[in-house]
Amino acid sequence: MSEPGAKHKFAFYLGCIAPNRYPGVESASIKAMKKLGVELVPLKGASCCPAPGAFGSIDMNVFYAMAARNLVLAEEMKMDIALVCNGCYKSIWEVNHKLKHNKDLRDAVNEVLKEVDMEYKGTINVYHTAELLYNDKFIGVDKVRDSVTNPLTGARIAVHYGCHLVKPHKDREFEKEVMLNTEHPMWMEELVSALGATPVEYRNKMQCCGAGGGVRGYDIVHALDITNEKLINLQEEKVDALTDICPFCQLQFDRGQIEIQEKFGATYNLPVLHFAELLGLAQGMSPQDLGLDLHGISCESFLRKVL
Amino acid sequence: MAEKKKTTTTKKTVTKKPITKKAAPVKQDIKKQAPAAKPAAKPAATGSTTQQKPRVGVFICHCGTNIAGSMDLMAVQEYSKTIPGVAHVDNYQYMCSTPGQGKIEKAIKDHKLTGIVVAACTPRLHEPTFRTATKEGGLNPFRFEMANIRDQNSWVHMHDQVGSTEKAKDAVRIAVAKAALLQDLYPKSVPVEKAAMVVGAGVAGMQAALDLAAAGIKTYLIEADTSIGGRMSQLDKTFPTLDCSQCILTPKMVDVGRDTNIELYTYSEVNAVEGYIGNFDVTIRKKARGVLTPKEAEARGLVGGGCNGCGDCDAVCPVVKPNAFEMGMKPRKAIYINHPQVVPLIYTIDFDSCIKCGLCVTACGPEKRAIDLESKDEFVKVKVGTAILATGYELFPIEKKEEWGYKRFENVITGLEFERLICASGPTGGHLVRPSDGQTPKKVAFVLCAGSRDNTGSGKPYCSRFCCMYSLKHAHQIIEKIPGCTPYLFYMDIRSFGKMYEEFYYRIQDEGAKFIRGRVANILEDSKSKNLHVMTDDTLLDRPVDMEVDLVVLASAVQPSADTNRTRKLFGVSCSMDGWLLEAHPKLNPCGTTTAGVFLAGVCQGPKDIPDTVASAEGAASAASIPIHKGEVELEPYFATCIDEKCAGCGMCVNLCPYSALALVEKDGRTVMEVTEAKCKGCGTCGGFCPGGAIWMNHFTTPQIVAQIDAFLLGGEQ
Repeated sequence: MSEPGAKHKFAFYLGCIAPNRYPGVESASIKAMKKLGVELVPLKGASCCPAPGAFGSIDMNVFYAMAARNLVLAEEMKMDIALVCNGCYKSIWEVNHKLKHNKDLRDAVNEVLKEVDMEYKGTINVYHTAELLYNDKFIGVDKVRDSVTNPLTGARIAVHYGCHLVKPHKDREFEKEVMLNTEHPMWMEELVSALGATPVEYRNKMQCCGAGGGVRGYDIVHALDITNEKLINLQEEKVDALTDICPFCQLQFDRGQIEIQEKFGATYNLPVLHFAELLGLAQGMSPQDLGLDLHGISCESFLRKVL
Repeated sequence: MAEKKKTTTTKKTVTKKPITKKAAPVKQDIKKQAPAAKPAAKPAATGSTTQQKPRVGVFICHCGTNIAGSMDLMAVQEYSKTIPGVAHVDNYQYMCSTPGQGKIEKAIKDHKLTGIVVAACTPRLHEPTFRTATKEGGLNPFRFEMANIRDQNSWVHMHDQVGSTEKAKDAVRIAVAKAALLQDLYPKSVPVEKAAMVVGAGVAGMQAALDLAAAGIKTYLIEADTSIGGRMSQLDKTFPTLDCSQCILTPKMVDVGRDTNIELYTYSEVNAVEGYIGNFDVTIRKKARGVLTPKEAEARGLVGGGCNGCGDCDAVCPVVKPNAFEMGMKPRKAIYINHPQVVPLIYTIDFDSCIKCGLCVTACGPEKRAIDLESKDEFVKVKVGTAILATGYELFPIEKKEEWGYKRFENVITGLEFERLICASGPTGGHLVRPSDGQTPKKVAFVLCAGSRDNTGSGKPYCSRFCCMYSLKHAHQIIEKIPGCTPYLFYMDIRSFGKMYEEFYYRIQDEGAKFIRGRVANILEDSKSKNLHVMTDDTLLDRPVDMEVDLVVLASAVQPSADTNRTRKLFGVSCSMDGWLLEAHPKLNPCGTTTAGVFLAGVCQGPKDIPDTVASAEGAASAASIPIHKGEVELEPYFATCIDEKCAGCGMCVNLCPYSALALVEKDGRTVMEVTEAKCKGCGTCGGFCPGGAIWMNHFTTPQIVAQIDAFLLGGEQ
């Protein structure tokens, strides 16, 4: 909506896990993005996105109506939505896309929204902050690089893209074509490089974190087994940290390591940071400001390397 | 339109002309040949014909239930009777049948009809049929008009009986409005040049050229690569007979090289095409090759000179490049031949890599003097009556399917790379090895439908049609050549549809190849061993599969070769959405195109195995030889005509004409436009544009079109 070059303003949709488990993601996003000319304005009154696995598997009508309500809040602010979570992206972006293109569905949803005096109009777009960082229409890799004051030189960082941002491929419409590469994307690695760190590729990069789609809630051992396999692959490449763009994936990798230790007896101690946290570090924010001490797995080893 | 089989002829009135070697200027010929084609349209230019009052006959076809099942035909019939100008209405189960056509013929005589409307399918399908019937009834065949009430009505509005009935009434009313104003027209005949062109010298192009040449037709065979043989010459063996591909192809290549009726242009492409069926003027671009053939040397006065293929230049050339014929797995020099059996055996300089050091010139010596480092592209003009496109295919860039890691993982190769690796004349002398370490594999996975039958948007939706069979062949070759090595084929379905193909499939099963039904989701590389994990779901056993193998062969989808799109545009040939060239009719005219005189052979029309390719090539050659043997072709009389009194001579139309058919001439002291009728395709660009309304488009005249629009908009009110 905003003109390129002008200061961009977005309605900031927080989701559930970021503010409750990783508050650093919230603060880092707001502060780091501000330095890059993007203002994130809190989307007041927002509800759960709702979670695509939990709600989407049970009742699509509730799923559409809840997501539409969040969209209407942003429409009332006359701002596009920016969010920090792949799960939120799937719900809110996809519902926005479907409602814009399906009149019958839109009418049905508006019938429900009428009860709370709201109407979905289809006037805004939805972006993931990672997309804003990568797309030079908003920020772009060069600006990210220029904003770095504390380069993460020497750190070997692997990327976990997470499933819901890039898949399903045929339902995604990113402006940057490389983001449509769902099977072996490399654009997050470009962002990691921009922070001065060394991006590291590892086996089966695009595998799920294990938690998504309700798997964690339904069968925790199975979910952790998948996470464990990813951690083994990451350990092989001797990475210093894993970065993600989804707090739910982050929860599974971070607190999941404690559960894996309890259940399988395997220890990895791999620091897991949301890219917003990494960006904050590279821009000079302190680990305390970023709430890194609230992580399940200590980030000390990684911080010693980069600070 | 122009492609129709000539069911309507004016042969009786035309005296057959002997065909001259170089086609006579067409315009003169027309005047001599078609005296009957007096410009009937011209006096009628104002639109008010002096003909008798129109009496149009309307014939409504049921097409079984295709039309009758979706609308009230009796209502359409009753309505048709009320349309002004209609003198007779009838309907029949199948108007295209003999009794149906008989109704038209009889009605013309009984009711003294002046125009015929058949409400049925499409002109593309049955216009020739009904024109013949119109003629048999004693009317000029161009007094027929078709109303499409099937493809554009009953089929699309199958569940709207009321709406489709109303739409059919509109269609009939509009057709009647035009039929009332139709005029007699006479097709023209032009002589056909007794020469043909074949573009592409793979097995399809070679077969087509050999057939044409055998029929006594001079044939220009154009090949973009430095030698002929195409994809088939890269293959090791052919399924299901397991013939050595080179062994059965080389004799054909040699025949092509020797045939005196074939003029071979390798390392060449079609640069421009002008003209029309019977008289195509084609400009061939001979790319700068840097090496003279003995013939070219002789033309320069170097008798006994020119390239004899000795290879002395190759031996001294210091520049090394990957050989594309070997899929880049073998080096070649900047001066090279693709492989030892090339036809023609003439070296080529790759000027993009040549450093012009001159070592080859010295090595070639003063007698042959075959090398010319300053060689430039040359342009050759030829005239042909018909042309065949046989531009073939290339592999879909399978690295786009990132999940399989081609180009990221060393031991993931394509089927064509496998062919070169297993071929005795290939880069490894026929030893199948892993690219990463040169070791012989023990477990090889074949991924079928790699990029084919792929609806994700990142592959091709169609079946590439020969990958199942060549993968079976590959499995056989592994079992035969490497004891203890097991091939695993990951497939969706095995499509073994051809003669003896199913039997071959069973044979390979018995030989010990393993088949896993599951689309491969992902391939992972073990970073140390460079082994690969093939991840899929075995949909027969309903369980996930993670199989470690040491080599993966992707049966990559195929797509039209790189230059296909440019070439097809030069010849005015359409393509379907996936890029394959469009045949005139998928079932009944698979070798023809909608451009008269241009035909398709082989894979450029769609994926085909070798037997189908050769059959299609022979079909195309046969079709392309018909106009040549006939000696003349009829052109649709839809050309533009200039009404001299109205023409201001502004010349705007001359520049607009895409076919260079118009010119300004001096007539009675005035400058007016003149149409070369044989060149005009009747596209109407000039007629629509002319500011003075001075251009009369035969069969699509302004009064006819206005009458149709009025008929529609006024709903039948006058």
